[in-house]
Amino acid sequence: MDHRRERNTESAEPLTQSEKISRRTMVAGTIAMTAVAAVLPLSNLAYAQASNPRQDMVAFLLLSEALTGVNRQTLAPEFSADANEILNSDPGVDPINIKNTYFDWINTHAAPSSFAKLLQIAKDSRKSPRDIIRRVSLSDDDTKFVARSVVLLWYLGSWYEPGDLKNAATSPDSVQGPIKQKVVSAKAYTQGLVWLIVGAHPMGYSNLQFGYWSRDPRDPNSPDLFSPAKF
Amino acid sequence: MDENSITCDVAIVGSGFAGSCIANELSGKGIKVVILEAGPDVQPNFNAYMKSFYEASSKVPESPYPPAVRDVREEIFINPKNVAAGRPSSLTVGGSTWTNPDKAYLDQSTSKRPFKSTYERLAGGTAHWMGLTPRLVPNDFRMKTMYGKDQPGFVDWPIDYNTIEPYYQRAEAELGVAADVDEQRFCGIDFSGNYQYPMPKIPPSLFDQRVGEALAHLGDEETQFLGMGRPVASLAVRSLPAARNSQPYRNRRACAGNTNCIPICPIQAKYDPTITLNEAANKGARLVPHRVANEILIKNGCVSGITFLTYDRESGPKTGSGVITAAVYVIAANGIETPRLLLMSKNKGQFPNGVANSSDMVGRNLMDHPQYLTWGLLPQPVFPYRGPLVTSAIGELCDGPFRAQRAAFRVSLGNEGWTTVVGGGARFGADPNVTTLDFVNGMNFSGVNTQGLTGLGSDNRALFGDDLTRTLGNLISRQFRIAFPVEQNPDPNNRVTLSSALDALGLQRPKINYDISDYTMQGFATAFRLKKLIFSKLGATEFTSVPKGDPAAFKIDSVPELFTYGGAGHVMGTYRMGNDPKTSVVDEWQRSHDHRNLYLVGSGTFPTVGTANPTLTLSALALRTAEDIVKNLPSLKS
Repeated sequence: MDHRRERNTESAEPLTQSEKISRRTMVAGTIAMTAVAAVLPLSNLAYAQASNPRQDMVAFLLLSEALTGVNRQTLAPEFSADANEILNSDPGVDPINIKNTYFDWINTHAAPSSFAKLLQIAKDSRKSPRDIIRRVSLSDDDTKFVARSVVLLWYLGSWYEPGDLKNAATSPDSVQGPIKQKVVSAKAYTQGLVWLIVGAHPMGYSNLQFGYWSRDPRDPNSPDLFSPAKF
Repeated sequence: MDENSITCDVAIVGSGFAGSCIANELSGKGIKVVILEAGPDVQPNFNAYMKSFYEASSKVPESPYPPAVRDVREEIFINPKNVAAGRPSSLTVGGSTWTNPDKAYLDQSTSKRPFKSTYERLAGGTAHWMGLTPRLVPNDFRMKTMYGKDQPGFVDWPIDYNTIEPYYQRAEAELGVAADVDEQRFCGIDFSGNYQYPMPKIPPSLFDQRVGEALAHLGDEETQFLGMGRPVASLAVRSLPAARNSQPYRNRRACAGNTNCIPICPIQAKYDPTITLNEAANKGARLVPHRVANEILIKNGCVSGITFLTYDRESGPKTGSGVITAAVYVIAANGIETPRLLLMSKNKGQFPNGVANSSDMVGRNLMDHPQYLTWGLLPQPVFPYRGPLVTSAIGELCDGPFRAQRAAFRVSLGNEGWTTVVGGGARFGADPNVTTLDFVNGMNFSGVNTQGLTGLGSDNRALFGDDLTRTLGNLISRQFRIAFPVEQNPDPNNRVTLSSALDALGLQRPKINYDISDYTMQGFATAFRLKKLIFSKLGATEFTSVPKGDPAAFKIDSVPELFTYGGAGHVMGTYRMGNDPKTSVVDEWQRSHDHRNLYLVGSGTFPTVGTANPTLTLSALALRTAEDIVKNLPSLKS
């Protein structure tokens, strides 16, 4: 297994190689930094009704976990769960911290009311990813297409305008070329999750070793370890 | 040194593979070399190029490199008349832009079909190459002798395989080639002495292994259509020689499989000419960037100097001009920019058809390896988007008696799934974006969001969560690409001339007229039949399609489907070598028949092009030319 998570016997939470590395190297930093500092840059953004920005970030991660099918520990490697109330968890800080980039981006590029609605769904249904998916799917169009933009952001590091997605989904014949997208940043491209979901790495960003491509990325002893459902 | 009045022993225009090799060879012998480079200098590192690549919405071959093709908002194409040292872009070779010189650098307004290949103009030349370095096979050098009775357009090279073989070995050392000699002995390829490649071969991808198994046992009747003149009971999938480190080589790392050879290897495990340029610089060679050569001056039958224009900003304008004076001049500016410079050099009307052009062959016989690109889905995963873009190929079909009737091709196996980074851009963009969008947004632009393939109970499903990851993991890990680069035969009407469209320095841009012959199309027809055979042996589902309105689309009578082609980036033939000054531009040393102190190097000198990627051959020829320059320099200096 080159870059896939391995069993962690202590927490039973699957961890990727990079998560383990970041945990090792970032412990000191995490202790020193408060959770408030981690989300401080968000406090003056358009989505201002938040009385608790830390809870909003946790809600964003729960929403993202449900919609992307990727474990929150992969989305936010330093996430530290509160056993009593998940919304009181510490979203954590990691060297890449792409979750903050995305929260900020969505907050400034999507309709605030739609993003607020999505976060509220995540808070209300925080115990059930399945419920989050069901409620998002039943939402109004504006909210639903923002949710799709959020998934694409995590998967590809690119922002697709919710309005463009709605247009393409409702009248595909009108689409004449690639749907417009904006690569959020070089960092966002290199953190794209779809590559990991298909057993690969972002093109041009590999931490693997010579010859890995000759071997199956799945663990021969536990082939289901690769199964994306286990993300 | 006065930057605009330069004197040296050997002046080289262009710092790509050929120019760098020659500069390095000559500098090592104490010869004073100056290289004029139209674009920017060698960068201290690749960080800026990597950033441009990561942030590009279309990760096309030119995406890491300057100059910009689109404006800062990535919305409109910059008019090439506002670019000082422009170059073609794969973003403008299709659709409605390829014939519009306000959008595309190459003026193809009167061309029958699009010439789709691109190149770079910066120190190190076309660093976005794939890094593949197969040799030409012996018969590629004697096409007239072997097949000229049926194909009168073919000519022989003035040299044969045995002449170039020692230079192949030296070029393989310079570029750092990984391959296995025993595996590469096919179609007459042999190695003198106890030769071994500098590095062990690159190991095969899972897809290579799958294809190898599928084609290990074939029936004669299945392969008769190939016209090999012998029974073909199996097709060997061989590791493709590549200038890609399989172990640390000359201070560069082994390949880490970034799957990004085109456009840029982030760790320089793939050779690019900046490596040789830096060595040449250490030996005293000097590169001057932002110097666009605009005229080769002739006095008493010899080159007396080359004038150039300078600029500071990508958008121009011209900031000055100068002249370089030397004993020997080498033009190494690629198969389009070299003839452009020759044709621009009218010397106040003394050479109305340009210099070195008494044969009228300058700019003619433009060739590429048009690629038949095919995409499919396997029944089982092979995990693409991993490893070098290409690791293996089927090479042994590149020569045989069939060449009297149809073009040869090779079969290149892709490790990059359905990304069109290599192919140049399909209608809806590149994967993994297209398939991902389909399943997130309930569309079917990829063709795979169907009940039959997903087992999800209906078409056009929009998914979230585990359903989404499971479906994408299942479908994307089964993607593959196979390309068939096809030989082109020389056609004097496929031509580089000068356009009335100008660049930001006021120089005439290249104008292209290009077509694909029936001979080449018949190569496509046979490639189509082989594709059918390979797909059926793999149990693969076909996802090859021709976008509506594709200007490169064509039809062949014997095949029900429409074809299109991609550019291979192999710009060849436009100042060909030969023994007869009436029908060729340079001699076997790549020295101008007309002007004895002028050398023209690069793949423009190839009289015929076979099916091998040209870089290794043009590098070998450059090393041979360097020897000739060393030999002749004393007499040319006096």
